[in-house]
Amino acid sequence: MSLVNLDFAEELKEYSEDTALECFNCGTCAAICPLVHDNFPRRMIRYVQIGARQKILENSDELWRCLHCGLCTHTCPREADPGEIILGLKRFVVANFRRS
Amino acid sequence: MFNPKDIIETLANNVQQTASPFGIPKFMVNTWFKHASLPKKGEYLLFTGLMYQFTPYIEKSTQYLEKYEGTRMAGLLKYARHIPSYISGIGLAMITSGKEKKNAGQTLKNICSLLKKSKVDFAYRPDLDNYSGILLYDMGDQKGFVAHAKKVAQKLQKAGIKKIITVDPHTAYALKELFPKYTGINFEVKSYFELLNLKSKDCGLEVTIHDPCFFGRYLKLSDVPRKVLTNLGISASDIRNQGEFTSCCGGPAESISPSLSNEIMEKRAKELEEPGKPIIAYCPICLGNLKKSGANVEDLSTLLVRHI
Ligand code: SF4
Ligand code: SF4
Repeated sequence: MSLVNLDFAEELKEYSEDTALECFNCGTCAAICPLVHDNFPRRMIRYVQIGARQKILENSDELWRCLHCGLCTHTCPREADPGEIILGLKRFVVANFRRS
Repeated sequence: MFNPKDIIETLANNVQQTASPFGIPKFMVNTWFKHASLPKKGEYLLFTGLMYQFTPYIEKSTQYLEKYEGTRMAGLLKYARHIPSYISGIGLAMITSGKEKKNAGQTLKNICSLLKKSKVDFAYRPDLDNYSGILLYDMGDQKGFVAHAKKVAQKLQKAGIKKIITVDPHTAYALKELFPKYTGINFEVKSYFELLNLKSKDCGLEVTIHDPCFFGRYLKLSDVPRKVLTNLGISASDIRNQGEFTSCCGGPAESISPSLSNEIMEKRAKELEEPGKPIIAYCPICLGNLKKSGANVEDLSTLLVRHI
């Protein structure tokens, strides 16, 4: 069972702009992403929206597959900035493993 | 795939100890300028950010990572960060081919020739030319990046530098966008091809350009090299994914997963090979990666220097 953390969005503000709620889950980013991998990055953005902090930490290795190529951000119809959300999540995970 | 934590901590450790992500001391990496007799004063400062100089070492270390990815040896990487960087770095420097190091230096000499030919007043100061820290930024080590970037920017500021010429997209993005945001220090940053003023007769050549993500999409500069080529009578073929919609060469995944990087590179190489023309890259990472795929590719500066 995954726990939902209602303060997660607040916690993430330290690492990136708070744009995840702009996302309406259209999947454009996942369709254009050169990684073509299991709904990436959309799935990660969904995790942020619903406060699935633990899910992100469990699947954190995936974040480093991201090339920071910016195609998703460039094509997102909602300006949710998915590429920068992924970069922010990397920062969050790095800070997390350095603390532990 | 390697454990990102091991890779990040190794890189962060190297940058902290040697100001280089590969742990190779600068005096060993940056030697290209020694016989180039470049002025120490000028309107612009040429700032290479050492990316071209690092390419042969990146290639060598990726060959090793490729060998160990998915094997039990991959797990041993976590111990690498306990080896002093300059020892592992010098080891890497010793196994890297001299020919490749010389080629990387030649690209920078070519860029200097192009700037001189275009009458750009520029200086080179090896003491001020440092790695930008961009890899730390991309990997999410924000603290490490900001600490390093501040040192680099403050050194430039202290020397009174205001205008900078960069030669690769990663350093250009770091200095133009990230330094002002995270160090509070601003420079006027130009990429070398923005300053070129070259003319030549139509040579009827057509090439296919691979736009790097940072130049094509983030900095929106992909029209500029095309104009430079047009002035030399060289045309660029149209491909589906170019300019702002360019496709990544896969290079950024090299240290985390060489197999993923290869997969993306093969796909991109195919797109670029479609028009059947020589391929032109203008980023050392893209160049190295596309070369690895066996594509007929060279650096923009190498092509330009042949036509002036
Ligand atoms: S393209 Fe934008 S809106 Fe669509 S799923 Fe991705 S982040 Fe959400
Ligand atoms: S920035 Fe990352 S998530 Fe976005 S398209 Fe590129 S590789 Fe995919």
